[in-house]
Amino acid sequence: MKVTVLSLCLVVFAPIVVRAQTTAQQPPARTASVAPKMPTPGEFPPYKAPRTADGKPDLNGIWQSFVTADISVQDHDAQPGPRPDIMGAYGAWPGGQGIVEGGEIPYKAEALAQKKANAEKRMVINITSDDRRHETGDPELKCYRPGIPRANYEPFPFQIVQSTDNIIMVYEFEHALRTIYMKEDKETPKDAPADSWMGWSHGHFEGDTLVVDSAGFVPWTWFDRAGDYHSDALHVVERYTLVSPYHIMYEATIEDPNVFTRPWKVSFPLYRRMEKNIQLVDFDCVEFVEKMLYGPYYKDPGK
Amino acid sequence: MGNRLRVSANALLVMAAVLSVPAWVAAQTTSGAAGKAATNTAAKKTWVLPRTPDGQPDLQGYWTSLSFTPMERPAKYAGREFLTDEEAAQIHKEGIQHSYEFTFNDLAETPVYDATVYALSAWQEGVAPNRRTSLVVDPPDGKIPALTPAAAKVKEAARKAGPNQDYADPNAPVKADVAEDLNLGERCLSFGGPPILPGAYNSNFQIVQGPGYVMIEYEWNNEIRIIPFDGRPQLSQGIHRWHGNSRGHWEGNTLVVETSNFRPGATFQGANANTLKMTEYFTRTDQNTIEYKFTVDDPSTWTKPWSAIVPLSHMQGPIPEYDCSENNNDAVNILAGARATEKAAAEKAKNISQR
Repeated sequence: MKVTVLSLCLVVFAPIVVRAQTTAQQPPARTASVAPKMPTPGEFPPYKAPRTADGKPDLNGIWQSFVTADISVQDHDAQPGPRPDIMGAYGAWPGGQGIVEGGEIPYKAEALAQKKANAEKRMVINITSDDRRHETGDPELKCYRPGIPRANYEPFPFQIVQSTDNIIMVYEFEHALRTIYMKEDKETPKDAPADSWMGWSHGHFEGDTLVVDSAGFVPWTWFDRAGDYHSDALHVVERYTLVSPYHIMYEATIEDPNVFTRPWKVSFPLYRRMEKNIQLVDFDCVEFVEKMLYGPYYKDPGK
Repeated sequence: MGNRLRVSANALLVMAAVLSVPAWVAAQTTSGAAGKAATNTAAKKTWVLPRTPDGQPDLQGYWTSLSFTPMERPAKYAGREFLTDEEAAQIHKEGIQHSYEFTFNDLAETPVYDATVYALSAWQEGVAPNRRTSLVVDPPDGKIPALTPAAAKVKEAARKAGPNQDYADPNAPVKADVAEDLNLGERCLSFGGPPILPGAYNSNFQIVQGPGYVMIEYEWNNEIRIIPFDGRPQLSQGIHRWHGNSRGHWEGNTLVVETSNFRPGATFQGANANTLKMTEYFTRTDQNTIEYKFTVDDPSTWTKPWSAIVPLSHMQGPIPEYDCSENNNDAVNILAGARATEKAAAEKAKNISQR
């Protein structure tokens, strides 16, 4: 015990002793100073990501964004949200800076009109037993799978489960899930066998960056509550770059010739959830939206 | 319809040919039981348990729990744990034929789906014959132990009061006043588990291993369990989950998973969410098989713990997205159907009273 305390003291005091000595002899050289620098948002010092056992950048962990892009991917003010008469500050939505590079989404003229119509009808729900159910209403309000890239900036964590052949992203919101196939073969061909909400994705590594190429989306997901949308021609290329032990810089290039005049890009950091023993829990919102969706078919619709 | 059945019949012939190949090969390469035993030993020697890059036994891949073995031992096999190879092959053949042509649980035995439309055919999914007479292995009589008197009472009360959810009687009115009257699967909330059991179809799942944890994705509703084995403690009783909350550890080459924190109303066979403890054992026994055993321990529901073994067979991937709540026509149609029935009954009553 004594020995431990003594060596601890030595360790603690050693730098001071050394420094006292050097100060006495000559002024400290500027280059010797390693005082930590205050971080500048948007900038990360050079970083080499740790590797998995099979030598790939290790993305395993629980991640979450802190942008407000789920409300609007563009700059937006705070809003009262629906039903402020009963919801008060519980239901109010924060303002925030957008995530779109350059600020503008390059909509075709008729598509911009559709976006505005979507926004106006974001809470108009009309559930039928066919695809007409998807004509109005924000899919998030209905607890439908969020699609890509929205799943990455909904205000919920997601877990990256990384293996050699497959990387799985598990989202707490409605336990939405996507598999990123790291190889192309008969089981997982390049092209999507069928359209899906979370798309059909293949990935590869470029240095410390996981690049994910996704298509085969259904045309029914939105990018935000502001009605930003796409068609089934959506093609998303995402880049997940480990820039510190605690951050992934995320970037997605969105392409859809039916809706946009050119590809456009969003970017924001993802933060590693660092709570001790952090894990995903359930947010199966399906049970929270049944009354809203199916109420018109209830025996007593007012009940 | 006629065409579809003919296609099925042709495919069955092909299937029968495929099935008979292994027997033929076996006949050629071995002679009698001694030869067979020698082959098995040789196969066991050559197979090496694969490991992940970080050294865990590798359970990864696509698996199916589809099985034609009943949960409990039928009376005709009383006292017998295992079938003969011939009996096992026959049951396997019949099971495949049944799952290929019809959906299970169809009491009228009318063809509902051509299984190939949904890629439901068992023979495509690689299910292997099982020599056990029941999935239940403990107690040794192959029967689930008796319910406790309290649990039996609760179950009987629920049966009497509950909505007609199994649709056993097609003429019985379906209680569907509100969405909560539908079952959890119809509501896209949970298709159950653990344990992993054979279903009529879609009994498929994917296992992926990361450093310190295993992920299991079920095809049904793409439900997910992420099981850490880094020694962290179980959650407090303040958090409940649809599939319980799991903690794992390795015992030799077996992944042992303990699960609690179930949600009341969403437990295996209506067990008590507060006292149910489920333990699962995953052991890869060859390239195409995981021996999966589960032990159910809930002293407030069963008079003693019991265990079952479900063989998991390797199958072709991938697992497709299972969008359920996004297109839940069942919920709309069951509720709307109940309203239509009520309306028709009211009209009829009105006509009678006017007469």
